[in-house]
Order: sequence, then C-alpha cells, then structure tokens
Amino acid sequence: MTDRRGTAPEPGSSPFEEGIELPGLEEPEEESRGRGPSLSGPDSSGAGAQVTAAAGDAPIQQASLWGDAWRQLRRNPFFIMPVVLLLVFTVMAVAPQLFTSGDPYDCNLTNNIVDGQLLIRGPSDGHPFGFDVQGCDYFTRVIYGARVSLSIGLMTVFFAAVIAVTLGALSGFYGGWLDGVVARVADIVFAIPLTLGGIIVLNTLGERSLWKVSLALLLFIWPTTMRLMRSSVLSVKEMDYVAAARALGGSDWRIIRRHILPNGMAPVIVYSTITVGIIIATEATLSFLGVGLQLPAVSWGLMISGAQFRILEYPHLLFFPASFLVLLVFSFILLGDALRDALDPRLR
Amino acid sequence: MTAQQTGVTFETRDRDYEGHLLEIDDLHVEFRTPYGIVNAVNGISYTLDPGETLAILGESGSGKSVSAQAIMGIIDSPPGFVTKGSIRYKGRDLLKLPESERRKVRGREISMIFQDALTALNPVFTVGFQIGEMFRVHRGMSKRDAKQKAIELMDRVRIPSAKDRVNDYPHQFSGGMRQRVMIAMALSLDPDILIADEPTTALDVTVQAQIMELLDDLQSETGMGLILITHDLGVVADVSDRLAVMYAGEIVETGDVYEIYGNPAHPYTEGLMASIPRIDQKGEELNPIKGAPPNLMRIPPGCPFHPRCPYARKRCVEEIPPLYEVDANRRSACHFWHEVISAERPTHG
Repeated sequence: MTDRRGTAPEPGSSPFEEGIELPGLEEPEEESRGRGPSLSGPDSSGAGAQVTAAAGDAPIQQASLWGDAWRQLRRNPFFIMPVVLLLVFTVMAVAPQLFTSGDPYDCNLTNNIVDGQLLIRGPSDGHPFGFDVQGCDYFTRVIYGARVSLSIGLMTVFFAAVIAVTLGALSGFYGGWLDGVVARVADIVFAIPLTLGGIIVLNTLGERSLWKVSLALLLFIWPTTMRLMRSSVLSVKEMDYVAAARALGGSDWRIIRRHILPNGMAPVIVYSTITVGIIIATEATLSFLGVGLQLPAVSWGLMISGAQFRILEYPHLLFFPASFLVLLVFSFILLGDALRDALDPRLR
Repeated sequence: MTAQQTGVTFETRDRDYEGHLLEIDDLHVEFRTPYGIVNAVNGISYTLDPGETLAILGESGSGKSVSAQAIMGIIDSPPGFVTKGSIRYKGRDLLKLPESERRKVRGREISMIFQDALTALNPVFTVGFQIGEMFRVHRGMSKRDAKQKAIELMDRVRIPSAKDRVNDYPHQFSGGMRQRVMIAMALSLDPDILIADEPTTALDVTVQAQIMELLDDLQSETGMGLILITHDLGVVADVSDRLAVMYAGEIVETGDVYEIYGNPAHPYTEGLMASIPRIDQKGEELNPIKGAPPNLMRIPPGCPFHPRCPYARKRCVEEIPPLYEVDANRRSACHFWHEVISAERPTHG
C-alpha cells in the first residue's frame, strides 16, 4: 500500500512530508502484485507473465475477491463437505420420491402391533427407521421433513437479507433521519429474543402454516443482518473509489449498485448462511414447543416433539429426526465459516 | 446552455464563451464539527483558461484539496458547507445549479483524479469494465463498444499491451499504471478541466515524472485546463504555467512558477523554498519553517502566518493583508512583500 497524506504535520517537522526525494530508489515500473502461481518455470502464468507486455500468450490468472475466494474454497474440505451434504438435502427436499417410495401420510397402527400388543416398532427390515406413534414409516417421514426445514430456513433468510440489505444500504449511505429511524426500530426488535418473539407472534396467529412461521421468524432476524450491512456500507462509503465515482459523475443509485453493494455484501452473505442454520433450529424449537408448525405437517421439529415423552422407551423417535436436523444446521454453519475464511483476505 | 447541448460538446467543443474557463471568486468552505467550525477555505479566488496549468501548492490542511472538492461539489455536507463565493464554469455559477445539473458537469466538463489510485479504483471490477462504464453510462454504448473504447483509452494513457490488460483487476497493476487507469477514466468523457489532486504523491520518483509528462502531453492534445494540487515543489516546476501558494485556507502568493521560485514575495513561500533539501547542503541542517500550521478553528488574527514569520511585526497581528499587486501577474498577501522580494538569499538550484 502506498502512503496516505496525513492530516497535519507534526509540530516542528518539515511541512512537506515527502519533500525529500532520493534518486536511485526507483523500483521497476511494473511491479507484480498478482497472487498467481509461483514465478518459477518458463511458462508461469502468474504475475511474472504480466510484467513483460510482450509475453502476452501466457494466460493471466484472474484475481478478484470472488475469484480468489473460489480458488481457496474448492480446495477446502470444510467447504466441500457441507456443499455435498446440502446438495443431498436439497434433492431430498425437492424430490423425496428418489429416496423413498413410501407416503408420509400412509399410516397404519397395525404396523405397531407386535405379538398382539400395541407398541412403537423400532428399525426393522424394510423400515430402517422404524415407525412412529401413528404407525407411519419413520424413514419416509424424516425424508419428507427436509422440505419444511430447508424451505423455512432459506425463505426466511432470503427475505430477511432482502430487507436488511435494502435498509442497511440506504440508511448507511444516506444517514440522517432515515438512518436514525431504521437504526432505532432495529434496536428495539433486536432486543427481543428470537425464540420468545416467535412464541408470542405465533401464539396470536390461529392456524400456523409454513409461511406464517417463516414470517414470524423474519420479523425478528432482519435487524442483525441490517446492522451488519449498514456498518459494511459505512466503511465502503468512505473509500476513495466512491469519491472518485462521484467526481466522475456517478449517480447515487449507480454508486450504491456498483460500488457499495459489491464491496459491502461479503459479511452479509457469510452471516446469512449461518443464519439459515439458526432459523432451521429455531423452527424445530418452536414446533417442539407446540407453537410452530401443526400436524399434519411433516417436520423434524414436530417429530422430535412427538418423541418427547417416549425418549427412553423408543429412542429412535428422537434419534433420526434429530440427527438429520443437526446435520443440516451443521452444514450451513460450516459453509458459513468456510465462506467467511475465504472472503476475508486477512484470514488467508 | 442546456444539458443536451453540453453532451454534444464531446465532438465539437465550443470555445465561444466570454471570459475565463473557470473563475473562482471569494470561495469560503467551512466544516461544522462538534468541536467548532473549521475554516478550511477562507476566500480564495483564481481563474483558469483552456490549455493552462495552474499549480496549487500548500501543505496538508492548507485547504487545497477542499477547494478542489468544492469545485467538484463532492464535499460531504454536513459537515462541509460552501458558505460564500462563486465557482463560475463558462460563466455558469456551479454553486447555484441543482444537484442533478451539477452531476452532469462532473466527469463530462470537470473531472478529477486522486492521490491514491489503488483506493480510487473499485477492487471488485476489472479496469476495462470501470473505464468502459463511463461510456456505457454517459454515452449509452454497448458492452463490446465500451470495452473497445477502454482499450483505446488505455493505449492513449500508454498502458503497455492494453488489450491484454483490459480484463485485469486494479490490484494487478503497479502504482503508476493504476494512476494511468484513473487518468483514462477521468479523461474518458473529454472534460474541459482536469483537477489532479496530488496525482503523484503515492508514486516513485521516476514514475512521478512519467505521470507528469503524460498529463502534460494529454493537456497539449486536448487543450484542457489543468489544476494541479500538490505539496511537492519538484512536481510543480516543469509543467505549471502559474502557481498559487496556499496557507491556512488562503492564497498567499500567485504568479509565474519560475518568478516565484527565483524570488518569493511572501515569507511563507520563502520558507518553503528554504526548506527544500539541496545537494550542496550535505551535512548541514535542514531549514524547516519554524512552528506548526495554525489550527483552522482558531486562525490567528491579522496575517495567519505571523506567528511563524521572521518578518512579522505589529501591523501583521492587527491587519489582514490583502493580495498586493507585485507586478502585472504576481500577487502577494504580505504587508512587507517589498522586503521579502528584495531579501538577500542563496540561490536555489
């Protein structure tokens, strides 16, 4: 990095910080800064190739925030692993028929009759996860449960991010009364715990659909993302390229779109990824507490809730949905961590 | 002149306005901070003609950058306010234009380059995209044409093998090359005035010379007026026609560069000249100007330079010196400029 001009010289010092120019210190005009592969080797495609203009044939390694991030991510097992898991979960949510031929609502209590007694049958041939209280095939239900968890998680976080980025960018960029209003509202909402807020809102709603649960969670999670976006915008706003864009006649909208958003989004993307996991866990919590989704919805939270008084007797009722839930949440958090490491150059 | 007509001047630049290209008159800029009012610019006036290079010299905090930002209209407000004066571009007072009109002036009519070209370029887009965007937005060109124009411009600012480098990101360029990219962007819309705010401060000495040479050449090609803001006396000498020395938000001396260098008519300019290290001075102590520049919240009464001035006497504390006419195109804001200009001093290299 180059020197920046100070605000004022120290008392007694020469008023011109850079008045003294020593000859003989010049560096080559083209100084390589590329982060490409090693400079050794005749056909190195890294920065070395850029130095001499004549060597134009060698492919030049592109380097950008996302390009560098991608190069780092694709070698990171802690990125590959959650991505593979999430792909599996996504397929499970979109097309559960690929995993099971059963119907989650095809329940028959006779399945649970063992030796003339009504029990809850555990894992057995053809039914790897056993049955639930109603005699439904538990494997089928767990597979179908992915759809609810994933859609509530992604939907809630997507809309929260849209609200947060819009409000955060506007209030960070323009400041003033808009910033004041947005920041205070966010502070108030921020003070309400997510689960408590969810319980209160969902208790007042009659029938609780997937949309309503999502909306209830959305109400309480946007402030954190908004504050993240806002602080990110505040720092990007002070960059010289924003001043330069303005000096070259850029409009506010163009400056926000071209300069503020691309440079300020990284923290929001990382945080939102982790938030998907948090939302999925919170949905399960609310369903477990009986204020989330309602039967006959198929949800891991509801399944865990149904297991709550039978855990010691029938541990499979808890184990399978809980394992899937943990794995899904874990994947999102791992993915968020990998993204954070890749997008923050200081952690490289 | 309407905005539409302004857009057309890209091809056929009109020179049929009366008077100066740019005329700054009694410009005042202040920053209202919680600790008090910072008087950054206190009544400066100057003019600029087509093809002319005006160098504004001053140390940090002398108001030279703020006055440039005031011309561009990019001072953050609040806290910054232009409280008085006028900035007339081709006769139009820019300060009286609405923001939407003002924005059309930026980039197209008056453009600006910054000190640190790395931070002045957006890190997430290629330089070709950033230069090309000027054409896409202001000229409505297609992506492909804009890229072609970007390559042309990169050639024009002498970036070697522009074609191969158009898809590179700013951090893949050296400091000098980045400044060339910045210059290419600033000149893309063929402005009448270019303001260069310390364009070479962040660069190596040899690269500084190349950039100054480039600016000089581009100026001869386009006939634009150039305002060169710097604190480096060396940068100024070769390329400037006129020099304005600023101190505490005021212009203290203006005139021909060589005349001022040869024989300063203001004690501050004299102090600056004396503080340049010289090769024949090896082993001797440097001669800095004693004391520190004033706090712009509490500018001393009378002449702002009097606490540090070897010529100071009672009159300097009581009476603000006007810009005295030294000769036809030379001014000095010193009551005792006669003494300063006739003082015995060693000749400067």
